[in-house]
Amino acid sequence: MLLCPVFLHRRRLTLSKASYFRRYWQLYALLSLPLIYFLIFRYGPMYGVQIAFKDFNLFKGIGGSEWIGFDAFREVFGMREFYSTLRNTFMLNFLDLIISFPAPIILAIMLYEIKSVWFKKISQTILYIPHFISWVIIGGIVYQLFGNQSGMVNGVLESMGLNTIPFLTEKNPWLITYLFTGVWQSAGWGTILYLAALTGINRELFEAAEVDGATRLKKIRYITLPSIKPTIVTLLILNLGKMVSIGFDRPYIIGNTAVREYSDVLSTFVYRIGLESGQYTLATVVGLFQAVVGLIFILGSNYISKKVTGNGIL
Amino acid sequence: MMSERTSNRIFDIVNIACVTLFVLFCLAPFLHVIAVSLSSNRAITSGEVTIFPIEVNWNAYIQVFTNNAMIRSLIFTIILTVATTVLCMLFTIAAAYPLTKSKLKGRMLFMYVIIITMFFSGGIIPEYLLIRDLHMIDSVWSLILPGLVSPFNLIILISFFNNIPPSLEESAEIDGSSHFRTLMSIVLPLSMPVMATLALFYAVGRWNGFQDSLMYINNPDLYPLQLKLFQMVQNNMVSELTQMEGASRTALTPESLKAATVIFATVPILLVYPWLQKYFVSGVMLGAVKG
Amino acid sequence: MTVNVNQGVLKRAVGIGLTAVMGVGLLAGCSSDSKTNTATGSTASPTESAERVTLKVEIFDRGNSPAPYTITNNYLSQLIQTNFGDPNNIDVEFVPVQRSEEVTKLNVLMASNTDVPDIVFTYDSSVFYRYAQQGGLTDVGALIDEYGPNLKKFIGEDTLAFGQLDGQQFSIPGKRAITGRYSSYIRQDWLDKLGLPVPTTTDELYTTLKAFKEKDPGGLGSKNIPMGMALAPAQFETLIYSFMKPISGELTYSQRYELPLHEGFKDAMQFLNKLYNEGLISKDFSLDEDKTQLAKDIQNGNVGYWSEDVDVLFYADGTLDNLYKNVQGSKVQPVDVLTNANVDNKHIKSRYASNGMYIMIPKSSKRAVEAVKYLDWMATGNNLIDIYSGVEGENYDLIDGIPVVKADVAQEFADRLFNAGDTAIISNSKNLGDQATNEKAWISGFPERNQEALKQSIAIANTDTIGPIVFGKPIEAESQYGTTLNDKLAVIIVKTAMVKPDQFETVYEQEMKDYMSLGGDKLKAELEKALTEIPAQ
Repeated sequence: MLLCPVFLHRRRLTLSKASYFRRYWQLYALLSLPLIYFLIFRYGPMYGVQIAFKDFNLFKGIGGSEWIGFDAFREVFGMREFYSTLRNTFMLNFLDLIISFPAPIILAIMLYEIKSVWFKKISQTILYIPHFISWVIIGGIVYQLFGNQSGMVNGVLESMGLNTIPFLTEKNPWLITYLFTGVWQSAGWGTILYLAALTGINRELFEAAEVDGATRLKKIRYITLPSIKPTIVTLLILNLGKMVSIGFDRPYIIGNTAVREYSDVLSTFVYRIGLESGQYTLATVVGLFQAVVGLIFILGSNYISKKVTGNGIL
Repeated sequence: MMSERTSNRIFDIVNIACVTLFVLFCLAPFLHVIAVSLSSNRAITSGEVTIFPIEVNWNAYIQVFTNNAMIRSLIFTIILTVATTVLCMLFTIAAAYPLTKSKLKGRMLFMYVIIITMFFSGGIIPEYLLIRDLHMIDSVWSLILPGLVSPFNLIILISFFNNIPPSLEESAEIDGSSHFRTLMSIVLPLSMPVMATLALFYAVGRWNGFQDSLMYINNPDLYPLQLKLFQMVQNNMVSELTQMEGASRTALTPESLKAATVIFATVPILLVYPWLQKYFVSGVMLGAVKG
Repeated sequence: MTVNVNQGVLKRAVGIGLTAVMGVGLLAGCSSDSKTNTATGSTASPTESAERVTLKVEIFDRGNSPAPYTITNNYLSQLIQTNFGDPNNIDVEFVPVQRSEEVTKLNVLMASNTDVPDIVFTYDSSVFYRYAQQGGLTDVGALIDEYGPNLKKFIGEDTLAFGQLDGQQFSIPGKRAITGRYSSYIRQDWLDKLGLPVPTTTDELYTTLKAFKEKDPGGLGSKNIPMGMALAPAQFETLIYSFMKPISGELTYSQRYELPLHEGFKDAMQFLNKLYNEGLISKDFSLDEDKTQLAKDIQNGNVGYWSEDVDVLFYADGTLDNLYKNVQGSKVQPVDVLTNANVDNKHIKSRYASNGMYIMIPKSSKRAVEAVKYLDWMATGNNLIDIYSGVEGENYDLIDGIPVVKADVAQEFADRLFNAGDTAIISNSKNLGDQATNEKAWISGFPERNQEALKQSIAIANTDTIGPIVFGKPIEAESQYGTTLNDKLAVIIVKTAMVKPDQFETVYEQEMKDYMSLGGDKLKAELEKALTEIPAQ
């Protein structure tokens, strides 16, 4: 929107090596510090991935442990739990992508449409509070609200002579509870980035549209949404990269034994085999699998997005 | 057909009603935690407390505020958070700006180097060994340096920088401005909203983070506030292992004290956003482009 | 305008913060000079620096250090430095490990080789076996013989056996003072109201629960819970133990997830299914893993009968105190009801093994001798009482040779002992002599109004108990499948309890098949093989 077509056409300069360096050395200098950071703190410990190919012994260390090739991969890919947790991870992430991903966009636009400055500021500040309440506490509150016998919501339903709903102990109601708590916890926080993007909209566009007699919804459709499209696309690609990884706390705490077959995900699986059973090798294999799939997803979605929308992260 | 005015009115009313409803949803649990922090333990454990305190008392807050270690931890965490945020922002900007230049040789390589770290990591043991070899165990640097640049935030910043009309930068370059000056005088001033957002992300990330301090910090004077909160909330949970403690189990932390600590550890960071909101001013970019 | 104000406030706040931290820094600087247990303290006095060594000891940090103490510098750490460290020319340094993250941190410290404390510990037997098998632990057998006579006497041969692997003493198990575990309780006032006797068998209990349900003596309507249930061991283990057949005499497999391998497990599940479907137990028990809801229901007077850990009800301002406050005229009676048809209708229930935590000395430690000396010191003379009970006259009075906690102990004195249980690692709870003495000392720490009921409760917990079989070697399948099967056990309990009675059979078969394929069959085979190899006792 912002880009006037005239400016999109960059001047092409062919530069000799010396003048290229003269022109760009400042950029390399800027980049050097973060790069050193990445090399030391992110790539420095990267030799740890070889644990996946070793019979890791804590005391012999990573270097001293014996190579076992792909044995651990075979073991993991032969575990039934691996597939059920992978399936659940996909399912929960996919539902989140449909429900929880658009939620902050809608909420941000709703906030943007509010004219009263004080109301807007106060709502924003309150909306992002849930992000700061830890899952342990949220879990306690969810049980108080949605339990079958003791839950307040079911208490109200009962007193109105209605049937109680097993919000936490049956598959579909539980999925809704899971999604709802996710939206509730993250939608407000997620609006912040979109609100930052929305500040870039040229207000004159609205004035022009008003002269043309556009309705509010039309203005949202043709001005507001397109202006935050690059941000939406960026976040969507980053989200797709996380399709096979999932946080530990939310499924673990909102989940419970009655719905374990749906709430058991890769992160809880890794926790069980890695930390509690001390099988670091197997845990590393799962981590490596997630990394490879994640990388393929992010690069793939970036590629598609570039073709389709012209926006991407690379 | 209704008049444009009426439809506008209806839109506003529905919109405000929806937002208000969601706001109330978000507020209620927070009110619950506040209510718990002010209630008697009998009322809490009997499940009588909802969003209004019962048998009101301030003992929990008195206990939190008279605990020197708590106050010290708060101050330490504030300073740690400010320092981390400043350093993270400097490094993230330094990485993002060059990577918006499509003509920069090696740009794609650098991008891949960064994106790979979003997925692959060495794991907890090599990371610990690195921190030890750098002699950063029990040092604040172990809480700052390992998370200096978040690839996620970096990519967002790059995408926002990319939205700045190239014409602006190019005209500056034609005027003989160095890259460094273009960054300082054009790119950054135009990017205040996203910078404020990322600063908030880093600040909140540092404030809420404690996993690293679990590993790297043994000195109780350097415990961040969230670690103390975690201890209270988590260490009290009945697990398989605490079962084994049997008769030597220690008394549980009262719920009201936990809740008061939650409030104590949350309110400071909640105040950051309202303060940052002034950077979310519409039309900054517009003025610049037109000018 | 507002902007300026805000900035001003922030600047001021940062200013205050900085000065405060500098102040704190100065204070810390001062105190570290006076501290005897820091490394700098020893270098300051060159005369003794030549031989003085540092002994690093793990300590659980639960975030409950009262001011002015910290987890690494407190009354007990100073006591240990003065009474053990200084005479032996040793600086004792405590390394805090967060209670809930102990295994993660311990793994990392073990892997680092250099930073690992000289004394570490865990309650988790599979962690101990893993370290021992991977060759990371010191065999302390000879060291104990040479430097730890008091320690050896204190722990005793039987308990020491828990720390052995293939005949080598890779850990020193702490000694457990109280092995009683679970007791059950009934609302006497409900019984009185209905004119019913205290039930004494499982069948009688069922009749009583039915009466609680139908006659609703509490007048609670839909809140009425005849039997309190939670998805926690204190509730389901008591039930299962009253149906299953122990493996050999009064011993059985030690791990909870091995319960489905017992004869009679199915009967227990069937009984639970009946109770659930007839509305006799807490409807939401599957959500209540930490017993919060159960405690709430008990306190509000909604529960007629329930099982719990032997001590849980009786703490000051605890469940029982709150119930009596909330419900006028309520009365709780400890009872021993459930009878096991497989074992002569005895009141079979589980007990703790005689060991506490596994105390280990890493192989990389150069202070193994000092470490054993430290543990030996702890087991010597009055030292354990000094750690557990504090100062006579201030924390406790000696009555009949038992340190009895003073009822009106000053907060300042009580704070000294905030980490006593975690410091006295060789003793789980106060070991003073025989079990009865230990129990007496333990009871004395509870509010007087609850002591009689606790006494009865302990007596019940000690009746007809079943202990763990000690194999003297790790069961591989336990460390490999343990966590998975533990989760599966919970699923079996929940699913089979909540299914309609006519589908019980199908669901039970399905879940057990699942359990077996997740590692249960391997576990069963290995346990049965180990059983035949066990030396005759």
